[in-house]
Amino acid sequence: MAMAALRREGRRFAPLVSSPNPINAIRSTLAPAEEQVGLGVRSISTQVVRNRMKSVRNIQKITKAMKMVAASKLRAIQVRAENSRGLWQPFTALLGDTPSVNVKKNVIVTISSDKGLCGGINSTSVKISRALHKINSGPDTECKYVILGEKGKAQLIRDSKKDIELILTELQKNFLNYTQVSVLADVILKNVEFDALRIVFNKFQSVVSFLPTTATVLSPEIVERESEAGGKIGDLDSYEIEGGETKSEVLQNLAEFQFSCVMFNAVLENACSEQGARMSAMDSSSRNAGDMLDRLTLTYNRTRQASITTELIEIISGASALEG
Amino acid sequence: MASTAAVPFWRSAGMTYITYSNICANLVRNCLKEPYKSEAISREKVHFSVTKWADGKPQKPTIRSDSPED
Repeated sequence: MAMAALRREGRRFAPLVSSPNPINAIRSTLAPAEEQVGLGVRSISTQVVRNRMKSVRNIQKITKAMKMVAASKLRAIQVRAENSRGLWQPFTALLGDTPSVNVKKNVIVTISSDKGLCGGINSTSVKISRALHKINSGPDTECKYVILGEKGKAQLIRDSKKDIELILTELQKNFLNYTQVSVLADVILKNVEFDALRIVFNKFQSVVSFLPTTATVLSPEIVERESEAGGKIGDLDSYEIEGGETKSEVLQNLAEFQFSCVMFNAVLENACSEQGARMSAMDSSSRNAGDMLDRLTLTYNRTRQASITTELIEIISGASALEG
Repeated sequence: MASTAAVPFWRSAGMTYITYSNICANLVRNCLKEPYKSEAISREKVHFSVTKWADGKPQKPTIRSDSPED
């Protein structure tokens, strides 16, 4: 529009026009563009507002697309996560899940995501891990971290550097499968000495609710100790054991397999929670972008109408000055 | 308790039960015929990167992967 072009030209020449009046020049450089109404400056520029609106609109489109992608990934992985729950349930029925067990060497396995923009799930996992660490580190016990995922690594590096044992990343390059998780579990078993492993992850309840959970896996020696002490694990002797001469050998196999199954379930549930959290984060982000866009549109219209009114007033007063 | 007498061969070779069961599963997957075989092989791919830490300092990360690096 010619008027818009003239307005832009007016803004460029404004400092020269009003330079004999230094106060005005300072005011026009200090004030933001849309409020510039100094002498002889006929330019309330809507350019800035228009740029902001364009960028906010782009952000809204991007976040909407990310939400769709997360929703489709969630659908795919949710089925697998719910099916994998059946893997560890027999183990819990047999060996029990005892978070209150008192052991010397604790290892906390924190599962987090590699990518960001997924809401607060990684922070909650890290918070729970730190709380567990605090509970479990006493005078004669030690507590170490094994971290899966970049986001957990970034948060835990800041203050727990000396307690970190292993960091595993780049897990989701291929589709998540049992073989990968079991190899991970193997790496952890071979490199870390533990009496009890506490796995911290976000359990997927529904698309909007993720519960941070801890699953405890004991090493075979501790299982034996607990079974001597009686309780749930003490019933192990009443089972008929096949394929293994001694109870300790069977317990060792069982403990390793239990760790692998629990890890598999934990990784899948955390991935589900990540996609769900990303969906809701992107959804609220696009809604915020929409609100921002509405507000900016109002400002834009007000600015535009004000500039048109100013033009009209100038023209009319100029015309009436000519006549009168 | 005779704990060392009845150790199975794979445990004395340094494998854990997990490694043992993975190898068995791999053997079973290789027994399938096409097209199920390629589907099953795709379920076996492993890729992750391990960084060991000692005294608060990371050591060199190693990548454990079945797929070729691109």
